[in-house]
Amino acid sequence: MNYMPGTASLIEDIDKKHLVLLRDGRTLIGFLRSIDQFANLVLHQTVERIHVGKKYGDIPRGIFVVRGENVVLLGEIDLEKESDTPLQQVSIEEILEEQRVEQQTKLEAEDRKRYIHYSRDGCRGSRKPGGAP
Amino acid sequence: MKCLEGPGKTCGPLAPEEELVSACHLEKEEENEGEEEEEEEEEDLDPDLEEEEEEENDLGDPTVLGAVHNTQRALLSSPGVKAPGVLGMSLASLHFLWQTLDYLSPIPFWPTFPSTSSPARHFGPRLPSPDPTLFCSLLTSWPPRFSHLTQLHPQHQRILQQQQQHSQTPSPPAKKPWSQQPDPYANLMTRKEKDWVIKVQMVQLQSINPRLDDYYYQEYYQKLEKKQVDEELLGRRNQVESLKLVTPYIQKAEAYESVVRIEGSLGQVAVSTCFSPRRAIDAVPHGTQEQDIEAASSQRLRVLYRIEKMFLQLLEIEEGWKYRPPQPCFSEQQSNQIEKLFQTLKTQEQNNLEEAADGFLQVLSVRKGKALVARLLPFLAQDQAITILLAITHHLPLLVRRDVADQALQMLFKPLGKCISHLTLHELLQGLQGLMLLPPGSSERPVTVVLQNQFGISLLYALLSHGEQLVSLDSSLEEPNSDHTAWTDMVVLIAWEIAQMPTASLAEPLAFPSNLLPLFCHHVDKQLVQQLEARMEFAWIY
Repeated sequence: MNYMPGTASLIEDIDKKHLVLLRDGRTLIGFLRSIDQFANLVLHQTVERIHVGKKYGDIPRGIFVVRGENVVLLGEIDLEKESDTPLQQVSIEEILEEQRVEQQTKLEAEDRKRYIHYSRDGCRGSRKPGGAP
Repeated sequence: MKCLEGPGKTCGPLAPEEELVSACHLEKEEENEGEEEEEEEEEDLDPDLEEEEEEENDLGDPTVLGAVHNTQRALLSSPGVKAPGVLGMSLASLHFLWQTLDYLSPIPFWPTFPSTSSPARHFGPRLPSPDPTLFCSLLTSWPPRFSHLTQLHPQHQRILQQQQQHSQTPSPPAKKPWSQQPDPYANLMTRKEKDWVIKVQMVQLQSINPRLDDYYYQEYYQKLEKKQVDEELLGRRNQVESLKLVTPYIQKAEAYESVVRIEGSLGQVAVSTCFSPRRAIDAVPHGTQEQDIEAASSQRLRVLYRIEKMFLQLLEIEEGWKYRPPQPCFSEQQSNQIEKLFQTLKTQEQNNLEEAADGFLQVLSVRKGKALVARLLPFLAQDQAITILLAITHHLPLLVRRDVADQALQMLFKPLGKCISHLTLHELLQGLQGLMLLPPGSSERPVTVVLQNQFGISLLYALLSHGEQLVSLDSSLEEPNSDHTAWTDMVVLIAWEIAQMPTASLAEPLAFPSNLLPLFCHHVDKQLVQQLEARMEFAWIY
């Protein structure tokens, strides 16, 4: 029942399984147990899902209390369709390894770009954090 | 202990009964416990339970009922235990608490327990202490009646009520395929807590002027309402309710001055509280600033400030007009507002006429000022509008020169065009004569500047066209009127000026009236007409 039609309210989402994307890039999946007026969330039986390419791995995390301002978006997971995914689940160790490899390749690519950029003639500028060219 | 008070003390009429029923059951159980066997108890209570269940389904709070139900089950299925671990309290003390609650509040309320089927229950971590406040809550009827605090659009309120009705109709709870096992952790967030969150969200909806604060919501529901009304008229003649949501407006807390000005202090002494942090700068000019030098910047700021003030007044007038009751004319209040705004615009308080005109022109030199005048013109009375039109026409060269950067005079064309049609010939001549006068020390008439500007030339053409209309209507008069001669002279002069201008510098008018060329034909010789035609050719094509 929508208590406030025409508005967005999390009340109807309580006790349902949700996927929450955080500002730091983490993806959490859990049952939304409680909210408050700032949209702080309490997630139950939470699992942090790491995606690398076509693979993903779940790390069980337990109970999460998420401060509302850190949520980018969240959406309900249809439990019927949950298993209907083209992605392949792998073990935690494997996905962490995959993630590490991905991070490494990304850093290497950035370093290479930066090197090319700075090695150009007449190019000045200090090295900025975050690898911005 | 204080119960959650809410305006909605209207709880379901069955609710107290339901609670009493369960209370009775527990009492009975208490008495029976040591005496009878479990099976008998179960038998006794089960049919009652079943009955209860059906009753309870009519009420709107399945979670509560479920909890009550399960509590009873819990008590039943712990055989031989005199004091089942309900909250770690004995049944006797529970009963006592209950009675106290009964005394304190009209509606005792069981806390919602997680429903499990396993006999081993640990309530420990979840319910730390038998806090009486846990038991105390409102069985509010939905939607929560925050009516004296919140204002919902009547359509919104209606939708909520309809939904409430739908939810209350006895229907078996929709069995979602994934909920085959009852979620043991469901309803950790109690109804009370949900209500509270909703209440906080609703509090944000409070406003004195919902039209202003919550424009899009109001519009949306208005449209929805209109659509529904249309639907009802066309289709099924359903409920034609016209609920009037009468919600008293709350007096907004007085906006306190966060900037304190102390005599003799240099600047502002800022005071801040948790509700209103310190105001960083005082952007509004105060009386003390008149001591400043009459710098051009401060002058401009003053003009801008005036425009802002007038704009607010204009917005009020427009709002009042848009949402007026079904009468086509202005209410007295609206007329007053319009008059007030007009006086402000005309800077009537200036004794010097020149200064007054100057003020008006300064407003018109700003883009927003032009927008203001353009939007105000439809509201003005005829004579007021004509005053403005004549003022603009008189100072047209100046305005045109100042508008080079903005090119915003165009927005004035349409509203001015409408009031041109109310001009008399005499007024028209007055306006145009100013353009024709040779200023001292210059061989150029002001009209040349006008002709080079799009707005200027459009306005000029519109005026000429109207003049021609007036004259042709008036042509029944035999004797040459002084006005007529003046008019003829005017036309000839303008025609000459247009002919003098190189074609490239002639601006393209926004609208080319059809009676212009014939007008020129009447008054001007053929050669000139040819020249004019050549110049106005491209416009003539339209």
